[in-house]
Amino acid sequence: MPTPALKITNLRKVYRRRGNVAVDDLSLTIEEGDFFGFLGPNGAGKSTTIHCVTGIAEPSGGSIEIFGLDSVKQYREARRLVGLCPQEFNVDPFATPVQIVDWMGGYFGMSAAQRKSRIDALMESFDLTEHRKKQFRELSGGLKRRVVLARALVHDPRLIILDEPTAGVDVELRRVLWRYLTEINAQGRTILLTSHYLEEVERLCRDIAIVARGRIVREGSKDEMVAGPGGLEQAYLTATGAEADHVAGQ
Amino acid sequence: MTTLPTNLSPMGVNWIGLATMVRREVQRMVRVPIQAFIAPWISALLFIFIFGFVVGGRINTIGGHRYLEFVLPGIVMLNVVNAAFLQSSSAIYFSRFIKFIEEMLVAPLSYAEMIVGNLSVVVLRAALTGIGIMVMGLFFGATHIESLALFLFWIVSVSAIFGLLGIIVGLWSKSFEQLNMPVVFFLTPLSMVGGVFNTVEMLPDWLRWLAWANPIFYFINGIRGAMIGVDETPPGLGIGLTLLLLAILGGTVWRLYSKGYGLRE
Repeated sequence: MPTPALKITNLRKVYRRRGNVAVDDLSLTIEEGDFFGFLGPNGAGKSTTIHCVTGIAEPSGGSIEIFGLDSVKQYREARRLVGLCPQEFNVDPFATPVQIVDWMGGYFGMSAAQRKSRIDALMESFDLTEHRKKQFRELSGGLKRRVVLARALVHDPRLIILDEPTAGVDVELRRVLWRYLTEINAQGRTILLTSHYLEEVERLCRDIAIVARGRIVREGSKDEMVAGPGGLEQAYLTATGAEADHVAGQ
Repeated sequence: MTTLPTNLSPMGVNWIGLATMVRREVQRMVRVPIQAFIAPWISALLFIFIFGFVVGGRINTIGGHRYLEFVLPGIVMLNVVNAAFLQSSSAIYFSRFIKFIEEMLVAPLSYAEMIVGNLSVVVLRAALTGIGIMVMGLFFGATHIESLALFLFWIVSVSAIFGLLGIIVGLWSKSFEQLNMPVVFFLTPLSMVGGVFNTVEMLPDWLRWLAWANPIFYFINGIRGAMIGVDETPPGLGIGLTLLLLAILGGTVWRLYSKGYGLRE
């Protein structure tokens, strides 16, 4: 049986200061090569789960394996295999796109020659070449999103985690991104995507998990979820309890 | 499918990652040359001119040295302390505030590499600041070095101490107001009464304990001993205190990083 790209077992994350349980006994397995949609309402625990996987947050309990590597005990090897495109622009606003991507490549131990050729390729792929020397703060929202994506991909990770990558971007970039992600997924990269755009998930993903109140409330193939009455939207509303709440409120 | 090779040395150290941290901070420093270097150099030049040259012309020699020669090591140390503290505290706080510290958290970098990377830039900035002031002192004929080894020891160890202190404050601060508090309430007052401009003997008896209880007094005397051979503290006491502080602060920073304090959610 092949090693899963990501295996989360009984993950729990408690924010003691805020006094809330963000993720509660969450288990999830993503096979290598999958294009996986991770859906849920705001505050459901999607970003916290991603932060635990990537090392931004420290899990309170449970375990996370990335291609069979423990994300805590073997963090160096595990992190080399993951690229994160976060929801927020966590970028030095005074740096240029080239610097941002170059520094990230450096952190991942890539040599100067490796970084240079990779940066050139990414700048071209995301139409950033003419903006490569501008400060990040001078770029439009769509261009900023492209830079953050390029940064996530600089070390050519086997597992790519995209936390709402198309939020607030125009149709053109969304299509460029969809095409790029489809291509790299076809090349064997595993992709975990969170999005509030159900049509995006429906178009790109093969498997889907829906999370609510820190727990997985439904998991299965996209085909299975889309096949039901009302399609993915109905499946999502039913799983998250939003529909029942909505009806009760009337 | 192939993944780009990334390099980890046989010693298990991510040297390229470490070098990148240093390179990045140097690039940030270069973006703000006035804040990083010009301001402390101008301030030091004014100190040298007013206290060393104008006022000092009316003061007798101290330990056989002109007043300017006596004051210069203190001015160097004062600026080394400030540069070290400001570099690490602002680098850590700014990266937390904007959240680009997450770039390092998701990368295969160890806590030790993050701390060493930070401190390397701290020492570099503090040393450059100090060297600039020493060059100014040359124009006034006041720059001497009696022991290069001791001089380097004091520059490196004191900048590391205040770099570590800056890391702690950078991790602890939740606002720019908090970030500035230690400078206003501790660093500046302690530096000013740390023997930059006077010997302990010049202080009234009832105030001398303040000098002996002030760690910066030992650092200033240490570097003064290395530069002109005048050191009021008992031999070895300053070095011992410095090593002790390095160990305590180093241990504290290591523990904070290990717990993810101020770093990880």
